[in-house]
Amino acid sequence: MTALAGMLWPRTVDEATAWLAEDPDARPLAGGATLVAMMNARVIDPHCLVNLSRIDELRSVRVDGDGRVRIGAFTRHRETSECLALTGTAAVVPRAAAQIANATVRNMGTIGGSISFADPGLDYPPAIVAAGAEIEIASSSGRRRIAAKDFFVDWYTTALAPGEIVTAVIVPRQPGGAAYEKHARVAGDYATAAAAVCIEASGRVHAVIGACGPTPISDADADALLSSDRSDAAVAKAGAMLEARADPLDDVRGSAEYRRLLIPRLLLRALRRAEADLRGAT
Amino acid sequence: MTALAGAVGQPLAQLEGDEKVAGRALYIADLHRAGVLHGALVQSPHAHARIRGYDVAAARALPGVRAVVTGADLDPKHRMGAFVKDEPAFAQGKVRYVGEIVAAVAADTEVIARAAARLVRVDYEVLPSVVDPAAALEPGAPLIHDNAASYIKVFDAGTQGNVCSRTEFRTGDADAAWSQCDVVVENTYTTQAQAHLSLEPCGALAEIDAAGRVTLWSANQSVFRVQASVCESLGLPMTKLRCLTPRVGAGFGNKMEAHVQPAVVLLAMKTGRSVKLILSREEDFETVRARHPFRIRVKTGATADGTLVAREIELLLDGGAYGDDSPGVLGYALLMQCGPYRIPHVLAHGRVAYTNKLRFGAFRGFGVPQVTFATESQLDEIAARVGIDPIALRRKNMLVPGDPWFGGQAIRSNGLAECVDTVERESGWKERPKAMRRGRGVALSAHISGLLASGAIVRMLEDGSILLNTGAVDIGQGSNTVLTQICAESLKVPVDQVAIASPDTDGSPYNWGTTASRVTYVAGRSVVGAAAEVEKMLKEHAGEMLECSVDDLELLPGGRVAIKGVEERAVTFAQISGRAHWAAGGPIIGTHSWVFDQKTFDPKRAVALGLPFAAIGIFSFNAVVAEVEVDEVTGKVRVVGAWSACDIGRAINPLMASGQVEGAFVQGMGFALTEEMVWDGARLANPSLMDYKIPTFAELPETLRAYLIESDEPSGPFGAKSVGELGINGVAAAIANAVADATGLRFRDLPLTGERVLRGLIAQGSGAAA
Amino acid sequence: MSALAAADERIALDINGESVAVHAVLSTTLLTALRDELHLTAAKRGCNQGVCGACTVSIDGEPMRACLSLAHGCTGREVRTLEGLAGDPRMQALQRAFADGGALQCGFCTPGMLVAAHALLGRDADPDDAAVRKALSGNLCRCTGYVKIIAAVRSAAQALGGAA
Repeated sequence: MTALAGMLWPRTVDEATAWLAEDPDARPLAGGATLVAMMNARVIDPHCLVNLSRIDELRSVRVDGDGRVRIGAFTRHRETSECLALTGTAAVVPRAAAQIANATVRNMGTIGGSISFADPGLDYPPAIVAAGAEIEIASSSGRRRIAAKDFFVDWYTTALAPGEIVTAVIVPRQPGGAAYEKHARVAGDYATAAAAVCIEASGRVHAVIGACGPTPISDADADALLSSDRSDAAVAKAGAMLEARADPLDDVRGSAEYRRLLIPRLLLRALRRAEADLRGAT
Repeated sequence: MTALAGAVGQPLAQLEGDEKVAGRALYIADLHRAGVLHGALVQSPHAHARIRGYDVAAARALPGVRAVVTGADLDPKHRMGAFVKDEPAFAQGKVRYVGEIVAAVAADTEVIARAAARLVRVDYEVLPSVVDPAAALEPGAPLIHDNAASYIKVFDAGTQGNVCSRTEFRTGDADAAWSQCDVVVENTYTTQAQAHLSLEPCGALAEIDAAGRVTLWSANQSVFRVQASVCESLGLPMTKLRCLTPRVGAGFGNKMEAHVQPAVVLLAMKTGRSVKLILSREEDFETVRARHPFRIRVKTGATADGTLVAREIELLLDGGAYGDDSPGVLGYALLMQCGPYRIPHVLAHGRVAYTNKLRFGAFRGFGVPQVTFATESQLDEIAARVGIDPIALRRKNMLVPGDPWFGGQAIRSNGLAECVDTVERESGWKERPKAMRRGRGVALSAHISGLLASGAIVRMLEDGSILLNTGAVDIGQGSNTVLTQICAESLKVPVDQVAIASPDTDGSPYNWGTTASRVTYVAGRSVVGAAAEVEKMLKEHAGEMLECSVDDLELLPGGRVAIKGVEERAVTFAQISGRAHWAAGGPIIGTHSWVFDQKTFDPKRAVALGLPFAAIGIFSFNAVVAEVEVDEVTGKVRVVGAWSACDIGRAINPLMASGQVEGAFVQGMGFALTEEMVWDGARLANPSLMDYKIPTFAELPETLRAYLIESDEPSGPFGAKSVGELGINGVAAAIANAVADATGLRFRDLPLTGERVLRGLIAQGSGAAA
Repeated sequence: MSALAAADERIALDINGESVAVHAVLSTTLLTALRDELHLTAAKRGCNQGVCGACTVSIDGEPMRACLSLAHGCTGREVRTLEGLAGDPRMQALQRAFADGGALQCGFCTPGMLVAAHALLGRDADPDDAAVRKALSGNLCRCTGYVKIIAAVRSAAQALGGAA
């Protein structure tokens, strides 16, 4: 292994992953919003950055042959939030993207960079899990895909192995409705708690809670219940199931107890909004 | 006759506007000097510890390091402090809060300086610490200042143990008056530490000449306070230090007293070179100062018809590690806690406790936002108990023209009634919002304009134009513009004929500072006075030039002196100035200097113990209505409407004045709803804009209206009183009252976070179903 | 420590239409390069974390945070600061409206605010209050309370011809 230095500009994913394999201390650089803030705070001090911004493959958003939307990892939040192809249940993703930070930061941050950092307060994780997305990952040995819900492993920890980078988030489009309900202290803050809900036209529901534990929270039984019954009582039960899986922090954004109180409340509000979206009323 | 450009009353754009919108304004961080060294700080990791020694060898050895200064370079007898001189230039002998400046490094680059700072080793003997003010006052609590009795105090502070100061005011006989009351309400309220969050972090640049005299630029609200603090804490004669100001990126009180200036001056003296040090945002949060947390126990009594009879209030202020402005904040809060009402029997007392946290100090409102939150909330509770509308209750008790303030000071202009009428009408108060979870709340408050000394020098330049020098720092609020308008109007010239000098302790007359909402009023009066002297001298010259008596002369607009009624018989300012410079009398200089002198307390009406200021100021008044919407799912409170009316005597510049009211409202809204400095033990847990949240454009209410009421203050320049702080005082109370109106719930602790409100809604049984 | 030991590297950046050579190590942000080396001090450092917005500049035509942009990462991109946008009529209309309308007090947030507003008017010639709030919500102001800023942006839009 050789140590590389400075900023490197790969033109392809293969070049990027080859360099990352060559120097395990080299870091991939996407939009920079997270990485540079950490450098400014002297949390990290990398000697080599592999700048992904000139890799065309990572910058494109396209609809695959199977109708899924492939969002390149380097797609900025602003583009994702304005992406017209993300319809039906997939609309939860642009709705989450639109609430990230503020307009200027949305010009900089990328979906790949954001989810790779795996800050539990981020807006993408619950949304892409609710949407049933897959994450495509590349390394010097090739590509693999995993479900979004398996990508987030722990606090600030993903399933990425050393030398791996996210290359795309692949979002299925089902006819249906979606909502991303974020509660934060002020606009642009990280979520205190969030609920992402997708309702397919068939009635299948995927409900995911964000910012209430190390990873996005979903529960198969809660989804099953809501898929057959969306009454207030059922939502309360589903909310309790999700809350039981929560492991929220006490921090300046809210106490753990407050986050627990919010889970069923935000779930209900998100579900009703997703229903309205399903009916075309949004 | 058309008014002159920039006359009093015109919404003139700020004089520095073009420079600022071009991005050419130079703030402290923008100043460069060839060969300047960069400073970096060493901060204390401990809340309370004795400093046994320093090891700076590794730091000094780093290439590019030019000096390291520590408490060993300070003489323990030199201490600064606005009221209690308890503070060294930086930590000396002991550290008293996590983050306190312990040492400083000067090096060729900022990177080297910061690296060297990390190499400084300090040998600490950790001591028990105390962060809660009530705990600090318990017997046996760790003693934060071992020798508080030996400190110089500028008033009878009663400093002892961990009590930094204590104050008590009484009128009438509150103890006996409760029996006259049909309704008595007593509650305890708490308010939190708020960070000023001036967008510009603190910083300083010190240059030293061959004779060892230092010129100090810094982000400041008073070049004179900087001079005094640095000289006191370093033991320098004041002739050795000249203080100047670049453009300042806001203050709100944060930059009124010293921050890094003493350390930077010491580094300059030690290296013999210029040194620049700019705080990071985190350092600014951790090391400088913040708004005092208050605990307020207040009891108010009224008769069944809502007439206020008695008040008892007890305050406990968290003062942090050093006194700073705390005694003043305590005294002022006690003076103002009655609000603009007649309450015949009052006992108001309180203490400031030292704690092992950063010092708390001046912040817009100076204790009044905190105390008003409590008292105006309580008035609404009284209103509910006696069954009277909150505005009607206030009208019934409010001070009317002729009434004095609590303690007996005469009030000579009082536009409060018009303020109340305005906000009642404009907010549609009588038509209550019918929407669910919406409510409206009102608060009345007052603030002073005044305190201490100001001066002005008005000079006529050779060409007849004017140079004004007041020493007052413009922190962005527009004082340069307002004072220029006052000067121009006084001499009846267009405003572009007047230039205003930048504050300079060498050349400017003393101005205590840009604080206490004082510049328009106190410095403005000096400007009027100095301009009047200039007018007198102009007329003396003109009388000789026109061969008439000075009594026959008048100023004409545009810079002329003419015989009354005979416009053609006139001389221009340029002609007069030429004569003065070259022929007779000498260049025209008008001066004025004064100390605010209206006594706060009438000893026949009130008893005061530990009064920090004998003469504080004249009163401006505010009424504010806020409308809120409470989200019953999350508890989040959103302000949807705000109407704030300020009696400011006369609006010298309505654009600047309304800007103050609007800005104050939003800052007050942050105080009410989202801002809180949070300590994790003794360490500040959220010294970052990621974690400490101020209102953004998104939080601005749909409707925010400022109204300027003019009651024409006889003692004010052109009738003006100041407006800088007034608009913040009632905001938290109005919002809390609105939340109570919307939910039926009374919250007595700030900030009113979503969490607090949701818990209240759930306990009430009315939180949205989960 | 890489910052101390790293070789002094010169890179070419397009700043306000001019190619300039800048010394930058890997961790040097665009903000530091602009302010400390090029003495383009309009962009301010308010937090160094991307939250306050005082460092907002235009990169490839979009408002971005200079404090979160690495100098090395800006090679091949067009950087425009307030100083460089000064001749643009859209910017001049905004500057006039801000100054005349009291949309600034201390002025520290103003350069970043103007760059963000300039970008807004480039995308939307006649924004309503909600659009202005959304576009500028990443720029904090502690002095004005925002009211006059919104009014100034809309007034500049009018002066430029609005929807016409």
